[in-house]
Amino acid sequence: MDQNVLLKMVDITKTFPGVKALDHVSLTVEKGTVHALMGENGAGKSTLMKCLFGIYGKDDGHIYLNGEEIDFKSSKEALDNGVAMVHQELNQALKRSVMDNIWLGRYPKIAGIAVDERKMYKDTMAVFKELEIDVDPHRIMSTMPVSQRQMVEIAKAVSYNSKVIVFDEPTSSLTEEEVEHLFKIINMLRDRGVGIIYISHKMAEIKRISDYITVMRDGQWVATERAEDLEMADIIRLMVGRELTNQFPPKTNTPGETYLEVKNITGMYNHLRDVSFSARRGEVLGLAGLDSSGRTETLESIFGVRTRKEGEVYLDGKRCFNRDPGESIKNGFALLTEERRATGIFSILNIRENTVISSLKRHLRFGLWLSDKSQREDTQRYIDALRTKTPTQETKIRALSGGNQQKVIIGRWLLTEPDVLLLDEPTRGIDVGAKYEIYQLILDLANKGKTVIMVSSEMPELLGVCDRIVVMSGGRVAGEVDARNTTQEEIMTLAAKYV
Amino acid sequence: MKKILALVLTLTMVFALSVPAFAAEPQVEVFWYEESDVYLSTVRAELNNELDALGVKYNNQFAGTDQAKQLDQIRTAIYGGANLLVVNVVTSGDPDTAQAILDEAGDIPVIFFNRAIGTDGTDNEVLDAAEAACFIGTDAPEAGHMQGKMVGDYVLANYEDIDLNGDGEISYAMFKGQEGNVEAIYRTQFGQEDADAILTEAGKPALVYFDAENTDKYQVDLDGAWSAKAATEYMDTNLVTYNEANGNMIELVICNNDGMAEGVVASLQKAGYNIDDGHVVPVFGVDATDNAKALIADGAMTGTVKQDNVGMAQAIALTVQAVLDGAAPVDALAALNDERFTIAPDCAGKLFVAYAPYTGE
Amino acid sequence: MANPIANLQRISAEYSQMDKKDKRRFWTDGILNNALYILMLAFCIYTAIKQPNFVSWGSLGNLVVQVAAYLPMALGIAGCIVLTGTDLSAGRVCGLTAAVTGVFLQKSDFANKMFTSLPEVNGWWIAVTLLTVIAIGALIGLVNGFFVAKFSLHPFIVTLSTQLITYGIILWFFALNGNNGQPISGLSAEYKDFVGGELFRLGPARIPMYVLYAVILTALMWFIWNKTSFGKNMFAVGSNAEAARVSGVNVFWTTVLVHTLAGAMYGYSGFVEGYRAGSIAASTGLNYECDAIAACVIGGVSFVGGTGKISGIVLGVVILRIIFIALTMLGVDSSSLYIIKGAIILCACSLDMRKYLVKK
Repeated sequence: MDQNVLLKMVDITKTFPGVKALDHVSLTVEKGTVHALMGENGAGKSTLMKCLFGIYGKDDGHIYLNGEEIDFKSSKEALDNGVAMVHQELNQALKRSVMDNIWLGRYPKIAGIAVDERKMYKDTMAVFKELEIDVDPHRIMSTMPVSQRQMVEIAKAVSYNSKVIVFDEPTSSLTEEEVEHLFKIINMLRDRGVGIIYISHKMAEIKRISDYITVMRDGQWVATERAEDLEMADIIRLMVGRELTNQFPPKTNTPGETYLEVKNITGMYNHLRDVSFSARRGEVLGLAGLDSSGRTETLESIFGVRTRKEGEVYLDGKRCFNRDPGESIKNGFALLTEERRATGIFSILNIRENTVISSLKRHLRFGLWLSDKSQREDTQRYIDALRTKTPTQETKIRALSGGNQQKVIIGRWLLTEPDVLLLDEPTRGIDVGAKYEIYQLILDLANKGKTVIMVSSEMPELLGVCDRIVVMSGGRVAGEVDARNTTQEEIMTLAAKYV
Repeated sequence: MKKILALVLTLTMVFALSVPAFAAEPQVEVFWYEESDVYLSTVRAELNNELDALGVKYNNQFAGTDQAKQLDQIRTAIYGGANLLVVNVVTSGDPDTAQAILDEAGDIPVIFFNRAIGTDGTDNEVLDAAEAACFIGTDAPEAGHMQGKMVGDYVLANYEDIDLNGDGEISYAMFKGQEGNVEAIYRTQFGQEDADAILTEAGKPALVYFDAENTDKYQVDLDGAWSAKAATEYMDTNLVTYNEANGNMIELVICNNDGMAEGVVASLQKAGYNIDDGHVVPVFGVDATDNAKALIADGAMTGTVKQDNVGMAQAIALTVQAVLDGAAPVDALAALNDERFTIAPDCAGKLFVAYAPYTGE
Repeated sequence: MANPIANLQRISAEYSQMDKKDKRRFWTDGILNNALYILMLAFCIYTAIKQPNFVSWGSLGNLVVQVAAYLPMALGIAGCIVLTGTDLSAGRVCGLTAAVTGVFLQKSDFANKMFTSLPEVNGWWIAVTLLTVIAIGALIGLVNGFFVAKFSLHPFIVTLSTQLITYGIILWFFALNGNNGQPISGLSAEYKDFVGGELFRLGPARIPMYVLYAVILTALMWFIWNKTSFGKNMFAVGSNAEAARVSGVNVFWTTVLVHTLAGAMYGYSGFVEGYRAGSIAASTGLNYECDAIAACVIGGVSFVGGTGKISGIVLGVVILRIIFIALTMLGVDSSSLYIIKGAIILCACSLDMRKYLVKK
């Protein structure tokens, strides 16, 4: 085995129920190099890393560190063996100080009992000095900007004497200046012989920092090349590189006149800036973009979940204020949220309760009580119409599969008889068969003259279902394309416009 | 499944209802207003001994200062076959509560004890009207009068010593056990009034409450538990502002019971008083509990009024025996022939156990 | 569960198709899920053997009376628990409203009547009193709900604060008009009739009117929980507040109303309490919320939020009262009583949580 090889992952395979998330993927990281890992959302990058850290158990394959086979059971074990990860979403104890976070789980002790605060401080300062980080070890994490918290995370990895450090989208919330500092640190680590795995969507960065690039797609290894041998266009081609198959129902809807207009939405507490677009009756409008490009925020701002600083929403030329979800529902909007578990389902309530919650008024009799009969009828109607597979209406929703849960929530919204449906990742975590049914449902709604706005990270899905696609980038609208005659490459280029 | 089991549970109860109730053996239920009252604990220890000696089957139950809970306990005991109730009511000083208990009891005799069931003769009406009830306790004002006299005599005899700041006046603190309790009210009132009477008669100025802002002229255990804890906390707080350095030290402390007096002594000792050769701030209590006696022997506490726990327990036990033997409670009281006990002059159903001043053996 | 017989048939049909291992799991699961009821049954049988009076009409009547007294507060507090909260102010609110009830309804010829200018007690005045105390309870509940909903404070903190404030008001109230903290008594016969008048007799036990009121309130709460938008919204908020918000539920008002309703129930509890204790002292209501919360939890109103049934609450109160009555009759000393009660709550909650844990 090559002397320079630090980490070698061979033929890693991981299957989730119904999905082959990783299919014989291999990755080799050499000492003192930065190895970029690229691919679309859902290509399997994160899954591969989770297998490395033992968050998921791999089904098959081998991992070697310095030539020895390893099989970590937890991130802690990985850390102890010199494999660290700087997460995209930082998992830190925000109410604790910087040094508490760095030495968490391995506090230096005096006589094995009392925590040695002085040593903690000294050691922290030593690491910070080495990395040229200017942070007070006593500072409380929550008082610091994300960039500094990330630096702390890196310092923690260094303090473990890590030989391999994985960076997962490290620059997504950094300013240019901060990115420069980060790159400086990465270069410093590389010079010290650390092997770095760098996950990012940002082409320009990748070209700048990395030595090797591995591209993944649909859970499979596609290519590993030296960075200087690849042009941006090559990378995109490798990442997308698949033919659209017949996984979408035929498009039958015909968009009518303009119905919904969104003008200059700027977020109060988020990075949305000047988002404007319009949608017609009977149209399926796609919202494309990378993670954190502001797609979800756009939908939530329209629906009144997020506070707008500026911006207006017009329906049929009439202004809708949509100050809160209740008002938006009255105005004929519906929002299917992205995080089904967190903001969609009432997991311990049953199908019927989950279905009727947004349309209780329909069942009110004499303004006094709710009719059980009509609730049951409505629920049954949508169980039948959406072909939801459930034993009874009284089954708790958590017992259903993701696709069927999604159908229940779609049923909930259809019962409010909306004119505009805002769908955020409607097919996430749903198996292929169910996806087709949901696409069909979306097209049926458009056929009935409803306006559908759909956010998706799966580009083929957007191309297959939508009429037009608005591409967002960095909280702004980067462009608009006609779904019939655009390419994934064009969308990707637009999506990278403001990052 | 849940419902079926609930059904079975109910059915079992209903079926079992047809089983005829036993002709019960004598069963005495003793109800206490709460479990941690210091003096009542000494009564309980004696009473348990006495009842054991009688060979009577009995239960002690505690209401945790909750009158409604005590009524639930009483009701339950009645359906459980109790044939004599011995009750230390929670809500003292209110004849309606006693009446509610008597209504529940019906024909079952009730012996109330310790905590007065009414004030100003309202309890006499209740007792007179009830055929099978009596009260064994103390003459509520007596302890207050006795404490007041003891305080007055002591202060008069040791005036110069007590007057720490030498201003010619004695500033005192008063700790009340509970709002609305008759005994507490009388003790708070007479403990100070009678002492003042003695002092003014001898040409001395009356006692002065230490905190001029406090028009109540007492501090009360807000939980109504007559507790040492409440007294300690009050005294600790008082001593921050009122101390020798400020020239306004509290020079005398009067407490409704020994529990609170103990608390005060603990607080004073933390501040360097009432220990070894230090200055002794006289502290007075009521009850003569073992702890108080020990403190008095050590010189850390000055005096208490002996509430006779043994006498109380014996009076109850003798009455219990007589009633179980078929006597009416009133007759049972009358039959007690002992100088420690006196029948109230205005009510045949009320027996007083005498108090005695206690300043050491 | 709609039809127990059909349900039983379905279960037995399923059972006959299980293999040996599944059958064993069926029984262990069945036993564990119903362990509390099985234990209670065994406990009742034991008590009945040791103390035959435990199963008598009088004893049953006593149980009914006690359940009726404790139920309203549990029904109120249950809503707060469904929202994953709690309410520590319940007992003191009950104490305050009991005191107000007492003062309003003292006999007009009572020597120590606190406010002599109040009108003669009659049906109308009793109705006014009832509405007033319910309004007072609701007002405190409203304050609780407002702070919980508006500032996202944990109900524990908010209700702890109102508990203390309410107690302060109680102490102040008892000192009014030279009452000097003495208990409020001399309650009028009309009031006593209204609350405690004899409904019917169960053996030797008198069943008072407030049993009827408790039945009415239970029915009313059942209706609110199961048949109104408010009830549905309450479960939705308790189950997933964020999802409820996105679904158009007004989380703020739902939270406020749940607490207000709870407060109203405490107000009613206070109204009855005066009769139950014969008179009202400043300590009335102390720690009442503990029993109410315990009853809810035993009855399956889980702190997980979003679950609970009225029937469960009734069952919880019944179980708690059975424990109380049985242990009292067995002559168990108070220290053991507390230990047993604590153990049962712990056991009930563990078994309850088990239902939420196994599915992962």
